[in-house]
Amino acid sequence: MKLETILQRIPCTVVVKGKGFEELDLRSIVASDLMSDVLTTVDDRFLIVTSLNSEQVIRTADIVGAPVVLLVNGKQPQNGMVRLAEEFGITLLSTPLSMYKVCYLLGCLLESK
Amino acid sequence: MSTIPINTQESPPFLLDLIYRLKVKDVMTHEVITARRETPLRQIQYIMKEKGITGVPITDDEGKRLFGIVSMDDIIRALDGGYIQDPAERWMSRNLIVLEDDMPLQFAISYLDKFRYGRFPVLNKDRELVGIITSRDIIIALLVEVNKEVEKLEQRIVQPPSRPGEEARLLYHVRKYDFENAGKASAGIKKLLLERNLDPKTLRRISVAAYELEMNLVVHSEGGTLSFRMEKDRVEIEAKDRGPGIPDVEQAMEEGFSTANEWIRSLGFGAGMGLPNAKRVSDEFTIDSRVGEGTTVRAVIYLPK
Repeated sequence: MKLETILQRIPCTVVVKGKGFEELDLRSIVASDLMSDVLTTVDDRFLIVTSLNSEQVIRTADIVGAPVVLLVNGKQPQNGMVRLAEEFGITLLSTPLSMYKVCYLLGCLLESK
Repeated sequence: MSTIPINTQESPPFLLDLIYRLKVKDVMTHEVITARRETPLRQIQYIMKEKGITGVPITDDEGKRLFGIVSMDDIIRALDGGYIQDPAERWMSRNLIVLEDDMPLQFAISYLDKFRYGRFPVLNKDRELVGIITSRDIIIALLVEVNKEVEKLEQRIVQPPSRPGEEARLLYHVRKYDFENAGKASAGIKKLLLERNLDPKTLRRISVAAYELEMNLVVHSEGGTLSFRMEKDRVEIEAKDRGPGIPDVEQAMEEGFSTANEWIRSLGFGAGMGLPNAKRVSDEFTIDSRVGEGTTVRAVIYLPK
């Protein structure tokens, strides 16, 4: 799923444009507020959907090779989180929608493809 | 007077952590100089001068039950108004703002900002006077803690002695609750491995093991070291801490078992996945733990030929 499609269909703001922002292609989606759970995944190139706005989300994304993080519930990233996303080249998005709503919309996007 | 610029969004996490970790009772003066209700203000004035203090709590004979406080301002007013010989009871401030000894220091700092008093009496759970806290107490406590921290920072990165057959090594000091730097050791390890063109799968396993062990040090230990050794056919990551030790290692290895508190969980950790996760990605995995002494976790990952 192209990042571009997600940006078109889910109302969100781009906080940090990461590496390869224009042509990012995501293989899957992981939604969790527990970074330990994210670390158990075996995929890479996935989107992390979370309401956790700490630096550790970006560090986790870097380790598992997730190029995009989407913050839900209108959470604003902490300063350190933005700095780290810029440093690691990870795209950081924020949406006012709830986790449930975002996952529903992402599910619809996956179905329709 | 401006507010104390310490408890703000921009403050380093270390300071914020510090003012929540330190309790009022860790910082306050325990020996409180008190006076009785019938003590004349004149005598309180002498006590202030002799002891170099600016406020005297008025208590019962045991010094436990707090009735009021006489401050330097009250004394000046008494001198002005010509009633310096009156008993304290008549003029003491009765609407007292007090702190509880178990409150985080953060409360004391925000009270100093909010109420503009120079001191706050501290009561225990039984409402007995157990101390008094002033901005001076807070400044001293913070300076002592920050000094300790600076000392630790100065010795943060130390290289371990090399062993024969070693291709690379790194050693990091990891501190308790240091969420600002948490992950930096693993990032350093990953960077070193990226330069060596390791295959992505092995790189990820090593990164996950390093990160989980590093976070364990931050979240659960009293602090320690994370060391990394690379040999021709393997890497070894060792997390060694100074305590508190794991009472039941088997239990700690169960997925979902966690001793983390709500605060840690709100940061996205403490789900009881750390050790199982680290083990899952390792080829060899050992834990040696002694309660009261510390824990050493060693994870070995074989490198593909």
